[in-house]
Amino acid sequence: MKKERVIGNFSALGFVREVGDTASHLWWRFFDWLAQVPWRKLMVIWTLLILLGATPFGLPKQAAAFILISFGLKVLAGGKRKAELEARAASTQAGEESLERRLVEAQMAALQAQVEPHFLFNTLALIGQLIETDPPQAARIHEHLIAYLRSTLPQMRARGNGTLARQIELSRAYLAIMQARMRSRLAVSIDVPAEYQSASFPTMMLQILIENAIKHGLEPKIEGGRIDIRASVDGSTLQVDVIDDGIGFNLHAADGVGLANVRERLRILYGSRARLEIESLPEGGTRASIRLPYAPDIFAGAPA
Amino acid sequence: MSPQLRATALIADDEEPMRAQLRSRLREVWPSLDIVAEAGNGVEAVALAGQHQPDIVFLDIRMPGMSGIEAARMLFNRCHLVFVTAYDQYAIEAFEQGALDYLLKPAGGERLKTTCARLQTRIGTRPDNIERQLSALLAGHSKTAAKPEYLRWVQAQVGASLRMISTREILFFQADEKYTRVQTEQAEVLIRKTLKELADELDPDEFWRIHRSTLVRVDAIEEVTRDLRGRQMVRIRNYPELLEVSRGHAHLFQQM
Repeated sequence: MKKERVIGNFSALGFVREVGDTASHLWWRFFDWLAQVPWRKLMVIWTLLILLGATPFGLPKQAAAFILISFGLKVLAGGKRKAELEARAASTQAGEESLERRLVEAQMAALQAQVEPHFLFNTLALIGQLIETDPPQAARIHEHLIAYLRSTLPQMRARGNGTLARQIELSRAYLAIMQARMRSRLAVSIDVPAEYQSASFPTMMLQILIENAIKHGLEPKIEGGRIDIRASVDGSTLQVDVIDDGIGFNLHAADGVGLANVRERLRILYGSRARLEIESLPEGGTRASIRLPYAPDIFAGAPA
Repeated sequence: MSPQLRATALIADDEEPMRAQLRSRLREVWPSLDIVAEAGNGVEAVALAGQHQPDIVFLDIRMPGMSGIEAARMLFNRCHLVFVTAYDQYAIEAFEQGALDYLLKPAGGERLKTTCARLQTRIGTRPDNIERQLSALLAGHSKTAAKPEYLRWVQAQVGASLRMISTREILFFQADEKYTRVQTEQAEVLIRKTLKELADELDPDEFWRIHRSTLVRVDAIEEVTRDLRGRQMVRIRNYPELLEVSRGHAHLFQQM
């Protein structure tokens, strides 16, 4: 009983508050309009009001009061309010610019963090060894390393990399190097239908997922394993999966810079229309999926 | 350097080409060194060393199953150890300080000769007790994994799949009868773990308990306001609902 009354009071208070809010909202709407309306238009409105006030139905006193108040407000506060509104528009624009800057920064971070010294030194050591034992294979690994560095180092990044086909090509070079190093411990399968190859796909995201799968899933596993890369389209969504049968997820391992970076860039580029999902597989291993709007990119330019 | 001195050795590296590389270089520098076995991971290295009792073990640091440093702790009083690495910013510094033997991949040239000469003077002597150096090295190595004790991923059953949610994606946890609701910017899922269990396992600097039934990620808090009844309410970035701060937890936001 008592409780109900409290709630009753509360909602009455809420109602009063709402009325207040609405009134203040309308007042500020009027104020903004007044600040921005040109003098000429205002004068036309005043003239109409005077004419209306002169008719038998008019309210001459109210019309005069309105004219006086609006004139006063326009003179005293109009300029300031107008400046405020302009400043707000400018800051919205600045917000958009800072979003763009954040994207560029996130992309640079992704690219710079990528070439792991451990990977580079091990690959160079491998090439050194192969030069003696298997020169043709050394030449192939050397070429793969160049292809990998070309698309990974920011200074080397060519335009038109933002398609799924280009991203897979880059990953193929990396995977070929890892296969030469891990030998039978690494099996790779790539299943991406030709029709999705031209879809636009942000740079370095597939690569980060693949490197994660190898580094955290397969390299630490004694017998090694396999990695599967698949792409599918469901309606207007492109999904790219990286699946490994490695040692699975360590719940206490910090979410690497790589994954956080992928998530951040997806959010900036696509908002809520894209996501990164990570799943623990029942048979062991991990699936990482990127889902984003499917855009077959006939000009092969778009988001780098 | 006496290439004729006879000794036995074991090479442990997960990458076969690198084992072949070290083997062929050793053959040039120290032809009478007998490579009795090769291991592809730390566990195998320990087992084969037990079986063959080599004088020397060359240990790669990054290996699956058991790292070279972990394997070294089981072997150091039985044989002379040489660490091998392509790149390891923490270990190399530690090797220098602890005066441990190490080689950089690809091993070869003068450096390998020096290492072999040093090993030859020690063959037949008891290996140094390097336990203390190894413990320090191991501690330094696990530190690089940054606070491994806290929960960084939450597992949630979504349909047939077991979804992994990074704690960085989570806005807050809220107790919901016998489940706990996990709210991210994009979705809401239920998990079986209780709020109490979560509070114990999560990083207390990452998540704050603001109410008996709410744990909120500190980074996701946009502002703290008061409602008409004077209760503190937390506004979460990109999320419409306000979360109540109970009296007992009001001290968290006292200075704000």
